[in-house]
Amino acid sequence: MLGFIIQRVLQACLVMLVISALVFTGVYAVGNPIDVLISPDATQLIREQTIRAYGLDQPLWKQYLDFLGRLARGDFGRSFVYNMPVLDLIFSRLPATLELTLAAVLGATALGVPLGMYAGYRPDSPVSKAIMAISILGFSVPTFWIGLVLIFTFAVSLGWLPAGNRGDTAALFGIQWSFLTWNGLMHLFLPALNLSLFKFALMVRLARAGTREVMLTDTVKFARAAGLSEGTILLRHVLRLIAIPIVTVFGLEFGSTLAVAVATETIFSWPGVGKLIIDSISTLDRPVMVAYLMLVAFFFIMINLSVDVAYAALDPRLRTRRAA
Amino acid sequence: MSPVLLDVNGLTTRFATRAGSLHAVEDVSFTVAEGEIIGLVGESGSGKSVTGFSILGLIDPPGRIVAGSVKLNGRELVGLSHAALRSMRGREIAMVFQDPSATLNPVLTIETQMRLAIAAHENLGDAAARARCIEVLGAVGIPDAARRIEAYPHQFSGGMRQRVAIAIALLNRPKLIICDEPTTALDVSIQAQILTEMKSLAARLLVMYAGRLIEAGPIAEVLRQPRHPYTRGLLGSLPGIARPGQDLVQIPGAMPSLIDLPQGCAFQPRCGFADALCATMPALNGEGARSFRCHHPLAAESAP
Repeated sequence: MLGFIIQRVLQACLVMLVISALVFTGVYAVGNPIDVLISPDATQLIREQTIRAYGLDQPLWKQYLDFLGRLARGDFGRSFVYNMPVLDLIFSRLPATLELTLAAVLGATALGVPLGMYAGYRPDSPVSKAIMAISILGFSVPTFWIGLVLIFTFAVSLGWLPAGNRGDTAALFGIQWSFLTWNGLMHLFLPALNLSLFKFALMVRLARAGTREVMLTDTVKFARAAGLSEGTILLRHVLRLIAIPIVTVFGLEFGSTLAVAVATETIFSWPGVGKLIIDSISTLDRPVMVAYLMLVAFFFIMINLSVDVAYAALDPRLRTRRAA
Repeated sequence: MSPVLLDVNGLTTRFATRAGSLHAVEDVSFTVAEGEIIGLVGESGSGKSVTGFSILGLIDPPGRIVAGSVKLNGRELVGLSHAALRSMRGREIAMVFQDPSATLNPVLTIETQMRLAIAAHENLGDAAARARCIEVLGAVGIPDAARRIEAYPHQFSGGMRQRVAIAIALLNRPKLIICDEPTTALDVSIQAQILTEMKSLAARLLVMYAGRLIEAGPIAEVLRQPRHPYTRGLLGSLPGIARPGQDLVQIPGAMPSLIDLPQGCAFQPRCGFADALCATMPALNGEGARSFRCHHPLAAESAP
């Protein structure tokens, strides 16, 4: 197991290097940030000074190598717009996105998997049909529209929940979290619900398909013949057998939501990284874009690694193959 | 004669399909005495497995037991509530399936699967439950059971896996064990081992064709002197009888569709003795310990 993890970490370093080159060139191609950096009425002299100060007069490969050199010292550069270290900037926004994403993905899984299993266990019952109808809605209705409807219904018309922002936060491990205060939780609820609908639909479908398939197998029939109750069969046999695709999708959804929860964060004015990256793209804030994209790549690598470790925990057959 | 343990009477199980009602098991009656071993033979689709599942109350929709009764120790099982059937399964009647690599859960240890089977019926403590598992595993011939109990099914060979499945069936000391071709999925040498340990030689043999019992009797008599043409056809097609280099003998034709059975005797289209009389369903006639369902039974040859 340790060998496997070391191998994966080396692999991850290589991937990060390739990503950094791709991202750096890509962002370079998007446009010259100099126009954003100085006011339009600045003199030619100031313009050239600024270009030199940021190293923008150097060829691309030189800029990239400088960037790598600073990276090796843990320096991602400073944001052009906020004029503060990029990492500090991103990490000041990250907890907001992290808790929003976690709430959405965990909520969707915790609710979607049991409901999906029920729909797979009793495919013809009216309740199952209702569950499937909701899941079709979750798939087909655009997130931003649902967000607006949620705000209109619960914040504007009913006035039960706040329409935006993080609300009160409390510190844990030196980071501010909304979910630790009641007010923060109320603020978290609507955006998390908005984000989770699509994931909920996905989990319902996955769990349903898996359950339907497993229920027909001899494993279930044999368990029934031994006198196991239906609840025990679903909980101990079926859930374990359908877990692998669920964990896979959980990882993918977690990663992609962490990276781009933009629509929801914008609609609910949630001060997370999604909004930050959109702002920095429109202002051509290069260091933020580069650092953010690399961070996203890093998250995906870590998530995939955890998913692989989870596979081995869930399926003993994968364990032996790896050891061999 | 030991008291009757299982009394199956007129058991009829049908499956509603789009093409019509599929008659999987029709009017099957037999009894099993305590301690008795009976064998049910017939080709694929003759209704052996469905008979087994019907006895356990494990027929899933669109299948349904439409008529008949199954009595265990005099207690009627057909029509029993789900909960009552569940508590009966495993504790009074257990079942072993064809393919152990499909029946055992690949992601749970043997111990977990055995403990679940015990917990379904009894609230034993951890240590007692584990001890029972190890004891039963040892009894079915798993060497080093105390250590192997923590292994997963894929770490066992096919034959050992079936022993584990048999151990699970034995865990709650059922009075009746239904074995649905427990050696079909295993290779020949392992088949022999398992059958020997299950005391392969049944005392009584029942022959099924197209969902019905067509012949029954003490095993030696049925094998030596089949009365139904189908039974003789089956025996005639055994590989042991064929001469090397020659094709194996087979019964001409194929079993009719269970949705569209011929009028009368289901075997008549393939039978050399069939005549107009065979368009009516023959009754299961008894002759001492023997019974057969045929208008033109093969002659009971004078005893040798």
